[in-house]
Amino acid sequence: MSAGTILRCWLALMVLLALTTALAFVPLGTANLFVSLGIAAAKALLVLIVFMELKASSSLVRAAAAAGFFWLMIMIALTSADYTHRTDQRVPLDTVR
Amino acid sequence: MADEALSFQFATPVQQREAVTLGMWAFLATEVLFFGALIAAYFNYRIWFGAEFVAAAQMTKVVLGTTNTAVLLTSSACMAMAVTSFEAGSRRRPTLWLLATAVLGLAFIAIKGFEYSLEYGEHLVPALNFDLARHGGVAEIFFMFYFCATGLHALHLLIGIALVTWLAIWIGTGRINRGGSTTRLIGLYWHFVDVVWIFLFPLIYLAGRNG
Repeated sequence: MSAGTILRCWLALMVLLALTTALAFVPLGTANLFVSLGIAAAKALLVLIVFMELKASSSLVRAAAAAGFFWLMIMIALTSADYTHRTDQRVPLDTVR
Repeated sequence: MADEALSFQFATPVQQREAVTLGMWAFLATEVLFFGALIAAYFNYRIWFGAEFVAAAQMTKVVLGTTNTAVLLTSSACMAMAVTSFEAGSRRRPTLWLLATAVLGLAFIAIKGFEYSLEYGEHLVPALNFDLARHGGVAEIFFMFYFCATGLHALHLLIGIALVTWLAIWIGTGRINRGGSTTRLIGLYWHFVDVVWIFLFPLIYLAGRNG
């Protein structure tokens, strides 16, 4: 990891930050969520690959790094699938109090 | 924490380096799931409460949040510079980069604290002074998530600042020698806290700005 690589990575992160903030104010409907999450994933990958040196790490370390995120995806996908497909009526929050 | 010495259970420095890196990533994987549970809860709230939940996100301070993201990303670049210059064998340069990292971390905490004080003034803090009649129950759930997520993140950052400051003093006074893994491992922790914020930022600050 050279100083030049770090500088370029930092510049890319700043550009992505400006881009995601600007795009958040553009009305794209549901797409706004996916655009902002997509840019977040790109920023995270830059940090993971360059700053956290996964580019120079062994496959074993990379697999360990990927495992946490992989299991997280399973957790989010399955819980979201549950909540999206529930058919019982939600009690309005303010009537429960 | 090991510095330059080869611990007895390892045959070579390369093996030791690989093992401690793998160990750190195993710890970070548990942290991914720790913060991930909060983020999974966020998505379920968002599915469950829809527009009302997203509307509450508009009450967060997007200028302060964006500034803080820039501060934290810059601190990560400083941390990477510290690791690189340390591995190149320098003593003074990593110390200075580490101090810059710690100062930027403190700047993040200061901005966050200012943000919390604004939110307290707007009666947005659940369990302390949340104004239910004014903001509604779904907003209370959003701000419960907000304070849990950003509070736990800030706690991680404070631990990081303490570690980085300690490391700067140890490298500066020559108590950690070249070839050790401590700097790299603390760097991994710091960058990880940055990655958590990279995902919290759009979910908290950018949601509901498109209306």
